[in-house]
Amino acid sequence: MLAEERLKQLHDIINTSTKDELIWIKGYLSGLMKDDYINSNGHVTASANGNGHAATTAVKKITLAFGTETGNSKKLAAQLAAIAKKKGVNAKLTDLSQYRLAELPKEDYFFVVISTQGEGEPPIPAKKFYDHIHENELALANIKYSVLALGDTSYPLFCKTGEEVDARFEKFGAKRVIPLQRCDVDYEEDALEWFEKVIVTVTADAKSVAVAPPVIAHSVSKKATAKKHYNGTILTNIDLNDRGSNKQTYHIEIATEELIEYEPGDAIGIFPKNRFDVVEKIIAISGVDANAEVVTSKSTASVRELLTKNLNICYLLTSAVKKYAAIIQQEIPDTRMDLVDLLRIYPVKNAGQFIEVVKILSPIAPRLYSIASAPAVQENDVHIIVARNRFLSQDEQKFGLCSDFLGDQPAGTAISFYVHKNRAFRLPSPEKDIIMIGPGTGIAPMRSFLIERDATGATGRNWLFFGEQHFITDFLYQTEIQNYVQTGVLNKLDLAFSRDQPEKIYVQHRMLEKAAELYQWIKSGAFICISGTKDPMGKDVENVLLHIIAEQGKKSAEEAKEYLEQLKEDGRYEKDVY
Amino acid sequence: MSTKNNLSSVERIKKASNGLRGTLKESLQDDITGALREDDQSLIKFHGLYQQDDRDRREERNNKKLEWLYSYMIRLRLPGGFLTSEQWIGLHHIAGEHSTGTIKITTRQTVQLHGILKSQIKPTIQSFNTFQLDSIAACGDVNRNVTCSAHPKESAIHEEVFAYADKLSVMALPKTRAYYDIWLDEEKITDKKDLSAVAEEDPLYQDRYLPRKFKIGIVIPPNNDIDVLTNDVGLIAIIEKGKLAGFNIAAGGGLSATHGNEHTYPRLATLLGFVAGEENVLKAVYEIMTIQRDFGNRSDRKLARLKYTIDKLGVPAFKVELEKRCGFKLEETRSYSFTSRKDHYGWKQNHEGNWYYTVFVENGRVLDDEKAPLKTALYEIATMGKANFRFTGNQNVILADIAEADKETVNKSLQQFGILKHTNDAGALRKNAMACVAFNTCPLALAEAQRYLPTLISKLEPVLEKYHLQNDEIVLRMTGCPNGCGRSPAAEIGLIGTAYGEYNLHIGGDRVGERLNSKYKDSLTEEQILQTLDEVFAIYSKERSDKETFGDFAHRKWIVNQHV
Ligand code: SRM
Ligand SMILES: Cc1cc2nc3c(=O)[nH]c(=O)nc-3n(C[C@H](O)[C@H](O)[C@H](O)COP(=O)(O)OP(=O)(O)OC[C@H]3O[C@@H](n4cnc5c(N)ncnc54)[C@H](O)[C@@H]3O)c2cc1C
Ligand SMILES: Cc1cc2nc3c(=O)[nH]c(=O)nc-3n(C[C@H](O)[C@H](O)[C@H](O)COP(=O)(O)O)c2cc1C
Ligand code: SF4
Repeated sequence: MLAEERLKQLHDIINTSTKDELIWIKGYLSGLMKDDYINSNGHVTASANGNGHAATTAVKKITLAFGTETGNSKKLAAQLAAIAKKKGVNAKLTDLSQYRLAELPKEDYFFVVISTQGEGEPPIPAKKFYDHIHENELALANIKYSVLALGDTSYPLFCKTGEEVDARFEKFGAKRVIPLQRCDVDYEEDALEWFEKVIVTVTADAKSVAVAPPVIAHSVSKKATAKKHYNGTILTNIDLNDRGSNKQTYHIEIATEELIEYEPGDAIGIFPKNRFDVVEKIIAISGVDANAEVVTSKSTASVRELLTKNLNICYLLTSAVKKYAAIIQQEIPDTRMDLVDLLRIYPVKNAGQFIEVVKILSPIAPRLYSIASAPAVQENDVHIIVARNRFLSQDEQKFGLCSDFLGDQPAGTAISFYVHKNRAFRLPSPEKDIIMIGPGTGIAPMRSFLIERDATGATGRNWLFFGEQHFITDFLYQTEIQNYVQTGVLNKLDLAFSRDQPEKIYVQHRMLEKAAELYQWIKSGAFICISGTKDPMGKDVENVLLHIIAEQGKKSAEEAKEYLEQLKEDGRYEKDVY
Repeated sequence: MSTKNNLSSVERIKKASNGLRGTLKESLQDDITGALREDDQSLIKFHGLYQQDDRDRREERNNKKLEWLYSYMIRLRLPGGFLTSEQWIGLHHIAGEHSTGTIKITTRQTVQLHGILKSQIKPTIQSFNTFQLDSIAACGDVNRNVTCSAHPKESAIHEEVFAYADKLSVMALPKTRAYYDIWLDEEKITDKKDLSAVAEEDPLYQDRYLPRKFKIGIVIPPNNDIDVLTNDVGLIAIIEKGKLAGFNIAAGGGLSATHGNEHTYPRLATLLGFVAGEENVLKAVYEIMTIQRDFGNRSDRKLARLKYTIDKLGVPAFKVELEKRCGFKLEETRSYSFTSRKDHYGWKQNHEGNWYYTVFVENGRVLDDEKAPLKTALYEIATMGKANFRFTGNQNVILADIAEADKETVNKSLQQFGILKHTNDAGALRKNAMACVAFNTCPLALAEAQRYLPTLISKLEPVLEKYHLQNDEIVLRMTGCPNGCGRSPAAEIGLIGTAYGEYNLHIGGDRVGERLNSKYKDSLTEEQILQTLDEVFAIYSKERSDKETFGDFAHRKWIVNQHV
């Protein structure tokens, strides 16, 4: 179609571009091809000011704010800011956790990249911002904005936080210049496309070119989602804790026929099934015909099947309880509750009403488990470590849905899963030292790291901090760890068994004992990886790290914080906490 | 003498151990494992402890990616097997706090605790120390717990003889201070004899120690309760005109054999002669040890006991060497005789009017179980402070030295806890039986012993009744392997484990411990054991001559005849 010369020019550009640049070009072009930007002659209106020429126009300032939990939004926003710079747009990159809320009304262009976490909740660092815009009525009529929402279609409340932020800004009178863009886990292309529009809008505005009215309808990515679901079989399922332990921690190996694409640091997502006895109880109480077909927004199946495989019946969100109350037309206080309890306390009038309830239930959310195997050795299987989650509910001992479900699955059971990329939790290059702090199930990615490093002959030194309750019953992977010490793969090992002595000893106490050496490692370039429960372990360990940096580095608390922040910036301080 | 270049690995470990210290301190610090470094596993025995693991749990722990369930057994050094009531109380609490809780009375009159975790070893030893109890040399290539006839009723001179047990034990202690160093942080041991005064130089053991374990037993005839001839050195008290004249000395006893190794065999000690006077008695024992030190086999541990050294040298040559080292001649053996080899259950009074109650403790296991709350009972009695505790070589305990005035109180307690009934009701076979530890802690066990023998006896009792033999005091002993810890080769009926659930049946030992048994049948299952013994008892009950013991009959009928 192109004349030879122009084709050659195109090839020149392609041949001299890096991969990232090519991705950008692709996004750029597809952005341009959107109808809004094509004039009646069929020419792209942006062609005059699109590329290199932008630099000659007035520099426009935008704020690019990100809210992140696992680092994706941050990485992405930084990438976008770099593109902006190239395009002559000065993008001020800011983390919502650091954002001075008083500045908000003064913003001109305000773009937000934000993920959704938990059960449709904002990332913890963005919580302050999120609460601020929800608890206050602001006047933001001067602001032009757009939201890029990161999420995962596996979750019932896909991109909930982004949607909420978008809606609040609209409510505040801010002008949405580009529609909300919701992205699945393979967000790169959609994000670049969205950002191209941002650039076009901003630069067009700079040249006082009228901007085409934004499409209000939310655009959802049209391409088929790329997330791959693997069909696996459980090869092994063993409780690693010995008799007499307070815990049950399952080592589960899942094998597939095909290669599994994953990296050390990744997790897998698994959709649990609801408990058979609970489903049967619900059917009995509600009096519904278990075989009746029900059509929900996502699927059509019998009530029993939906309740077993598709719909969440555990610990319903307050919003779902409200919908339930509306259906049965009864007051129910704001609370979260299991469906079976709702049915018991606030019965449905008849089976028909229950069918309506079925229709408002959200799908079951997947649970993530850090992969404990490594592709260098295990290409066709993944190992995970699942701690049976236990909690008290009205003085009754209960167990978490998915962990309990997984613990019950014997070898031979079919199970499907997907790989959840953990881009911000990666092995450093082979020659780098790593300090791994992974108590409890936090040992999972550390085991993956060790397997990978052992198999690939990485030369960096490895230091593991591991802890659990009791040496005798809870030393997860003891014999493997002993082997790693013996073969020298583990250069250092520090263990903390909290309940083997009168005073509680945790990994952070061991870190303090080794403060000087730990700091020496950090100073000479070691990476620090933390995995396990967020609260309190993740927090306590981070505080101790700060303490060590301050004390050993003779720094003020503030300087220590900055130092750790810098390590984070440099990708040398990584967390996989939950 | 053994060739230098072919020493067993234990020899190297001992020599390089810096007075039995090795790297024990470092091993204790290794928090990645419940085990000790390999060499230290040999050395810790000299301190009275064994590294073990729960063999019932091996496979399961393997699957869980956990190492074996390592723990330690501690064996006290208790010459003659004596504890005050305060010490029993201490032992009771230490057992509860640091071990499985079961107190195991051994076939050598001492006690063992099992299941002590590595981190608990030091606290355990330190607690024992506060009760003037130690475990020095209770195991290892040194002299072990010295046994001595247990029941003070045996003779008016019991106390005098009993004192020898302690003297011999102290004489044969290793001189290294490693024990205090490692376990007691160099505290002076609060022993009355102030053992810490001794220097590190060790003229007896040098830096090689003995080639193998060494055992000394002292007996007061006519009751051979401690099986004196199964010891490396046996001292037989000779009482003449109501006075201790001296001791017949026997040497070269030992019961172990190895399945399939024809160079190994059980052997009873050979009488060498008579020695009088404490100094000479101690000297003679000491020099037997030096001969063993210098002549014992140091390359093959299976052939390293004194019994093999003596047979290698020949008894006459051995005696010549001993007399040379002693600087005096042994006198002609004096006469004595054994008429029994058992514990006198129930109440007995000694010449001074003190009372003794021998409690039946099945296989030496003191615990509260469905049969009797034995552990609680003994503890309650100890808290009264009215009785000492004496252990017997048959794994029982004697509540000892009870004043006439206190007898009733103690008796009431025994009654209350059902101990009187427990002891009375046990049948003759059960009361005279022994079994070694075997599973789940003994690493050498091939078959069950103490966990199984009680059930087997319950199945044998009806068989005995069928032939009216239920009151016969037949000595039946079971061990989980041919090492013979329950002295199974010296029993009228010996059941010696060959594989899980299978035992060689030995018969024909005599009742008093002067003749070993012989193998009659190979690898019998329970059913076969019951059937074979049924047949054998049937014939015995029909054909035995008046008062002929089962052992003597069996020997005459099946063992001697076999060889004709
Ligand atoms: C506890 C006890 C059996 C009991 O149920 O009472 C016992 C238990 C063990 N004996 Fe023994 N022996 C015990 C009396 C005996 C006896 C009987 C005696 O001395 O009157 C013998 C036979 C006599 C002899 O020494 O020949 C005996 C011959 C052995 C042997 C074989 C020695 C040999 O000459 O080859 C071994 C194995 C070894 O030493 O290599 C052994 C080894 C063992 C060990 C330590 C296993 C080991 O080496 O790891 C057993 C520990 C089991 C456990 O879990 O507790 N035990 N052992 C006895 C403790 C005595 C004490 O207080 O010191
Ligand atoms: C990146 C990442 C990696 C992870 N890696 C691992 C790993 O390697 N190993 C691992 O074991 N876990 C890991 N997790 C955690 C895991 O995903 C699950 O959160 C965990 O297993 C609990 O899920 P569950 O379905 O068993 O419990 P759920 O049923 O989801 O319950 C979780 C909690 O909700 C509350 N709750 C639920 N129902 C009720 C009720 N009826 N009443 C009151 N409260 C209730 C309780 O507090 C309960 O503890 C990881 C999580 C993330 C995000
Ligand atoms: C524990 C957990 C819960 C999540 N819950 C949701 C959710 O409810 N809705 C959603 O759209 N995405 C959910 N996600 C997906 C994340 O939004 C997605 O992984 C995103 O790329 C993370 O971006 P971040 O690294 O910037 O936080 C969840 C992810 C995790 C780890
Ligand atoms: S006889 Fe064998 S099985 Fe029994 S305790 Fe001794 S060594 Fe162990």
